[in-house]
Amino acid sequence: MDDSNTPQNTVQNTSHCAVQWSAETLHLLPENALWWPATQTLFIADLHLGKAASYRKLGQPVPAGSTQNNLQRLTQLIERHAPRHIVFLGDFLHAAAGRTPAVLLAMRIWRAQHAAMRMTLVRGNHDSHAGDPPIELGIVVVDEPWLIGPFAACHHPQIHATHFVLAGHSHPVVRLNGKGRDSLRLPCFVKDERDAILPAFGAFTGGHPVDGQAGRRLYAVGAGRVWAIPSSAQTGPA
Amino acid sequence: MSRPASPRKTPMPVPVPVPAASPDASAWLSTRGWQPFDFQREVWAAMAAGESGLLHATTGAGKTYAVWLGALQALANIENAAATARKVVAPPLSVLWITPMRALAADTLRALQEPLPALAPTWTVATRTGDTPSGQRAAQNKRLPTALITTPESLSLLLSRADAQAALSGVRVVVVDEWHELLGNKRGVQLQLALARLTCWQPNLVVWGMSATLGNLDQALHSLLGPQRIGRLVRGQTPKSLVVDTLLPLRAERFPWAGHLGMAMLPQVVHEIENSGSTLVFTNTRAQSELWYQALLEARPEWAGVIALHHGSLDRGVRDWVETSLKSGALRAVVCTSSLDLGVDFLPVERVLQIGSAKGVARLLQRAGRSGHAPGRPSRITLVPTHSMELVEGAAARAAVQAGQIEARDPPLQPLDVLVQHLVTVALGGGFAPDALLAEVRSTAAYADLSAEAWQWCLDFVSQGGASLVAYPDYHRVRPDENGVWRVPDARLARRHRANIGTIVSDASMVVQYRGGAKLGTVEESFAARLKPGDCFLFAGRLLELIRVHEMTAWVKRASGKKPAVPRWNGGRMPLSTALADAVVEQLAIAGKGDAPASPEMQAAQSMLSVQREWSALPTPQTLLAETFTSREGSHLFLYPFAGRHVHLGLASLFAWRVARQTPRTFSMAFNDYGFELLCADAVDWPTLLPQVLEAPLNDESLMEEVLASLNASELAQRRFREIARVSGLIFQSHPGEARSSKQLQASSSLFWEVFRKYDPGNKLLQQAESELLQQELDITRLHHALVRMASQTLVVKALERPTPFAFPLLVERLREKLSNEQLADRIARMVAQLEKAAGSSSNAPAADAVLATLAHGRDALADGSNRRPRRERKKSRPLPPL
Repeated sequence: MDDSNTPQNTVQNTSHCAVQWSAETLHLLPENALWWPATQTLFIADLHLGKAASYRKLGQPVPAGSTQNNLQRLTQLIERHAPRHIVFLGDFLHAAAGRTPAVLLAMRIWRAQHAAMRMTLVRGNHDSHAGDPPIELGIVVVDEPWLIGPFAACHHPQIHATHFVLAGHSHPVVRLNGKGRDSLRLPCFVKDERDAILPAFGAFTGGHPVDGQAGRRLYAVGAGRVWAIPSSAQTGPA
Repeated sequence: MSRPASPRKTPMPVPVPVPAASPDASAWLSTRGWQPFDFQREVWAAMAAGESGLLHATTGAGKTYAVWLGALQALANIENAAATARKVVAPPLSVLWITPMRALAADTLRALQEPLPALAPTWTVATRTGDTPSGQRAAQNKRLPTALITTPESLSLLLSRADAQAALSGVRVVVVDEWHELLGNKRGVQLQLALARLTCWQPNLVVWGMSATLGNLDQALHSLLGPQRIGRLVRGQTPKSLVVDTLLPLRAERFPWAGHLGMAMLPQVVHEIENSGSTLVFTNTRAQSELWYQALLEARPEWAGVIALHHGSLDRGVRDWVETSLKSGALRAVVCTSSLDLGVDFLPVERVLQIGSAKGVARLLQRAGRSGHAPGRPSRITLVPTHSMELVEGAAARAAVQAGQIEARDPPLQPLDVLVQHLVTVALGGGFAPDALLAEVRSTAAYADLSAEAWQWCLDFVSQGGASLVAYPDYHRVRPDENGVWRVPDARLARRHRANIGTIVSDASMVVQYRGGAKLGTVEESFAARLKPGDCFLFAGRLLELIRVHEMTAWVKRASGKKPAVPRWNGGRMPLSTALADAVVEQLAIAGKGDAPASPEMQAAQSMLSVQREWSALPTPQTLLAETFTSREGSHLFLYPFAGRHVHLGLASLFAWRVARQTPRTFSMAFNDYGFELLCADAVDWPTLLPQVLEAPLNDESLMEEVLASLNASELAQRRFREIARVSGLIFQSHPGEARSSKQLQASSSLFWEVFRKYDPGNKLLQQAESELLQQELDITRLHHALVRMASQTLVVKALERPTPFAFPLLVERLREKLSNEQLADRIARMVAQLEKAAGSSSNAPAADAVLATLAHGRDALADGSNRRPRRERKKSRPLPPL
């Protein structure tokens, strides 16, 4: 059973993959997050908090635990990197039905642990239905594209006239094939010429396969590491 | 529909007016020129006495009228009451006629209506299935007909109506047509539960099943009636004589070793159709029927309009047209799937061709029964082999038919997903008190031994998600009201449950429709999802281009000149039955002795068999053949236990597990009815390892433990969970025309699988996935037998220079399972290294493209990192797996 889609809790420190995008050094983290050391900013896409809760509310028996797991993994990331700023690239909350007392309480407790930290949410399609996070969480909510340095923080993948786009939304996964007809499906970062897509951070979220089309670089996440997928000669180095 | 053979026809029908007050079935039959058979009289008498039972006979033997006329006579009193009333009103719903396929409903309706004017003029009959227009359904909601023809799913839907008891408690007779089709699957269990419900409301309910001949008729009867009711087993007309023969390839030595499409046989099939009266061409999958229909049209363009296509995905209008035209004799041939296996008795069919293996003796008999209704003519089925081993199978099938080895169908035991669905259905249909419902559920054969603990778990599941309250906060589907009656309080949940009742059988399906025009039928959503706008596919006998997909409808237009993708439906892949598999080994053993082949099939297979013997060896009952082979893919092991594909699946994972326990490895496994393949990227010393692996298990228990452990290392149980999640209502499917609001509830079964294993590992649906796999798919008993037998055989290991005729089909099989206990990082590293090697060696574009192709298409486009040209995208006509 490959557990590649379940984000793992333990990770070595050297396991990230450093890339140069828009002349900035960024670290692709094996926790499905993006770290910008120069400004100490952490980018997180597609958290989908309260997803299991909204299923239960709508009559689907999904066991609780994934929201706690999401917040714990966020806390571990924060402890490791001590970011000054977290930017959520949309879909922070899954659905209005998921705003249950238990989920809201868990979010409040989590926020209180990191009270001083600046947090920004770029609204995603789920957020516009689920509503903004409660005001007392102190998360600044903005619409895409939201410019930060040379980057345009977005939810939906898109091309920006002047800025390199960082986006989420599509929950990209890549299928790798190997000798002996082995194959694996792993979450991945997708880097095209003018934009990049982050894998979904949330547990209990699915994935959509991406193609390795020309000019695209893929970085698979699995076994606590980020793996640059070798690209063809036509693809320039990232 | 079924009528006695015409020798019984009297030259002049005797016009005897039958008084409506006392329906005399014999008199009515004689007005048609027929005499009742003894078995029909037996059924009539039994029904009149209030007995239940099971009637079994071959197709087209007068079963329908045995039971229907029996019902009319047994229920004469309601007809009398209606006829003598001042104002003539049709009697209320009294008979339910359950049919396994909605395609059969229209035909059954015509048959049932025929005797009504004479025998029960006040009665009404109607159908209610997924095909019934909503207007008609609404009219039925006001007043149901006297007899209703419906499917197990539609019956469950009726049970979910708030007024279910009022509407259905008047049902006195239930007839289950083609019970053998339902017996072995969960739809049959769903029906068992529905019958228990009806029996509660009407304790004297009379239940009759009709079945084809099976190896376990007593069990079939027991499953239908439950342990508390005794029934009568009635044997129908004695079977006609049967001819099983094989269409032989012209050049046997060039006949392919693998594949299941059988296009090599096209010229002979065309020739047979040309020289026969109306012909049914049975295929094993819908995709295969589409291809054959196209191929026949290309071979004989003038046949446009006189050959037709029939399968379950086609629009009802198309199916009706084909059936009517077939009956009127307007069609020369129909290419069909199991959609024409059942019902639709008495088609004027002269020839039956079966493309590919029929997989079992019972199915072969059923299909053969379609032909030879003319007086004095035997039934005949002609097998069309798609590869060389099926020549051997042809000879084996004939031997098995002669020996009367007919398979049994085993009913599922205690599937909790079906029970969970039923609990919600009953909660909607008036609610339930748990104790009373438990007694009712235990009155079925499937749940007779249901434990109190399992029952409590099901109640917990529908009320609070699981046994533990904390795991599922805010969740409620069913809850007791102030009087202790369990109901579904949320109207939205009720609606969604009803929409999903029909999903036991199939994946979500998508309507295929011309832009601004006619509906053509449905394809599985998973197939449509793989198509991009502009892609072409064969469907309903046409080449179509996808325009776009919108709200569960695939909008298409006609296409021409492009190469189509072939729809690949996930229809069941039936294993070769033990009976047939053993018969195949017998044939091989005879061939191995080197005597002159006794049958034309074995003669035709001789060249393939001698290649096998020359390059390797032929298996015999005393020897176990193993072949090893090294390719650029890695190291292959082929083993041929001839135990059927289900057991091979179990053996493959067990062997892979035993080897991987010594050194962590990843195995890719392929299996078919004759044997299996284990493929590993690294070298494996099979000659040394295999004898160790073949050690017989000490006892059943340790074998069970090992098999369970091997399952955990593979993805099999997760695959099984998909169906369970759907039936138990974990996955809600989208339906055509449904609003997008349920989009936020779309998640795949693999996500549920993960989240359950992590946060509620005691969930019984997970356990069910495992036990279903063990019981139904892996068949632990057969597996044990196979292991014991293999341990007693002499192992013959052959190192191959090239794949043998037996190995080749396994080598090219694409549907594979995986087993791995390697570190994930090692596997990724190997794949990445391979890609690096490929990319590194290539400043030239083709190899670079191949890297991308590997990523995009999941193909191993470059294995050795050489500058090989990337492998061409394989042609779509390459062998799809059999059924």
